[in-house]
Amino acid sequence: MTYEPKALIAEVTHRCPLHCVYCSNPLEMQRRSEELSTADWVSIFQQAGEMGVLQLHLTGGEPLARTDIAELIKAGRSSGLYINLITSGVGLDGAKLDGLIDAGLDHIQLSFQDIEEGPANEFAGTRSHALKLRMAAMIRERRVGFTLNMVVHRSNLDRLEQMIAFAEQSGAQRVEIAHVQYYGWALKNREALLPTRAQVDKSIETVEAARTRLKGRLRIDFVLPDYYAKYPKPCMNGWGHQQMLIDPNGRVLPCHAAGVIPGLEFSSTREHPLRWIWGESPAINKFRDESWMPEPCKSCDRRTRDFGGCRCQAWLLTGDAAATDPVCTLTPKHSVIEDILAQVNGNSRSEWVYRIDPV
Amino acid sequence: MTLVGLESILRLAPGCRLNEHGAGQDLLLIPEGALRMQGPARKIVELCDGVRPVREIIEDLQHRYGSEDTARIETETIALLTRLRDRGALESV
Repeated sequence: MTYEPKALIAEVTHRCPLHCVYCSNPLEMQRRSEELSTADWVSIFQQAGEMGVLQLHLTGGEPLARTDIAELIKAGRSSGLYINLITSGVGLDGAKLDGLIDAGLDHIQLSFQDIEEGPANEFAGTRSHALKLRMAAMIRERRVGFTLNMVVHRSNLDRLEQMIAFAEQSGAQRVEIAHVQYYGWALKNREALLPTRAQVDKSIETVEAARTRLKGRLRIDFVLPDYYAKYPKPCMNGWGHQQMLIDPNGRVLPCHAAGVIPGLEFSSTREHPLRWIWGESPAINKFRDESWMPEPCKSCDRRTRDFGGCRCQAWLLTGDAAATDPVCTLTPKHSVIEDILAQVNGNSRSEWVYRIDPV
Repeated sequence: MTLVGLESILRLAPGCRLNEHGAGQDLLLIPEGALRMQGPARKIVELCDGVRPVREIIEDLQHRYGSEDTARIETETIALLTRLRDRGALESV
């Protein structure tokens, strides 16, 4: 079986002016001095284009923290890629935005931490909300794809209707309402972030009603917290199946979080051609097929749909990366999820742990 | 589901574009992925220039692909344009 890569997530830096309590970056972030150069990225995009990759997601950290961001967009575009910039908007102004669009930017995904300024700034660990509102207004004036990303969790989920109302008049074509996923900094802050079951149920109703009302005007993508699911998510649509992530230092991973799994050596674009890493490197092949699967996955009909769930979550919650994702109600290890949910659906509230920027 | 009307004027929505011609396969790139453009689909999308109405696009296609089955060309073009509009890839001007 060969796997054709469709999307490249380029984590061009870990530097970021925000300190979000659910940041998906690893706890050990890479320094500026370790980052790939412009020429390194240009070569990567070219190789990706030749391999048939279609989408390039420029992310970080804050990708605008790279002074060469327009050059990176241009290079991606001339390699035949569709360019999506995932940004907090901090560091953007009208002239800079025009420059990025001229360079070939197709789409901007602008993240929001809340709809109310106080809490938004609290979750971001920085005063960025007012600036984001100005950026949204600037983006809507220009002809570029625009998606709003609303990150939701226990402390802001009750304002979901106001968030959707904001999205409706923001000029965005699409809003992604993404429940926090528990990796990286979000796992550290999980007890404070995980919503209650009542909140999750309410959020599903709210989104369904909004989808009906806004049909044809605003697309709503909705990511549920998998802790409340019956079966695991098909994480990345399979390990090494369609998507790859390249970190600031050039390591190629199957996703944002896989660096936490011990014993895996992720190959670097500094040392190997991208085609070899994707096709042949041991780490990308580690959980690609079904040979690693334990029961109940091995004999389960769902294994071709959810691929046993998330390897990183299995490692983080059970200490075994080759276990069934404990989100799955069919595995005895699901008890770890039940314990957390019992705790969260009681009455507890923890303090935030903020990420500190790499130098 | 309302169909795209003959007098509608359509164009690609922001963030949507056809891939480079001759890239191996014809694709309409959209924010969440790519749609495969089979048969005359690429040509039809190219004709959605935000100026000419759907009626003219259909006439152009009937002319281009022979007029033996004009009714079928009309039905299939409208079905394709409706799907792409509902998918958010095309917008009305």
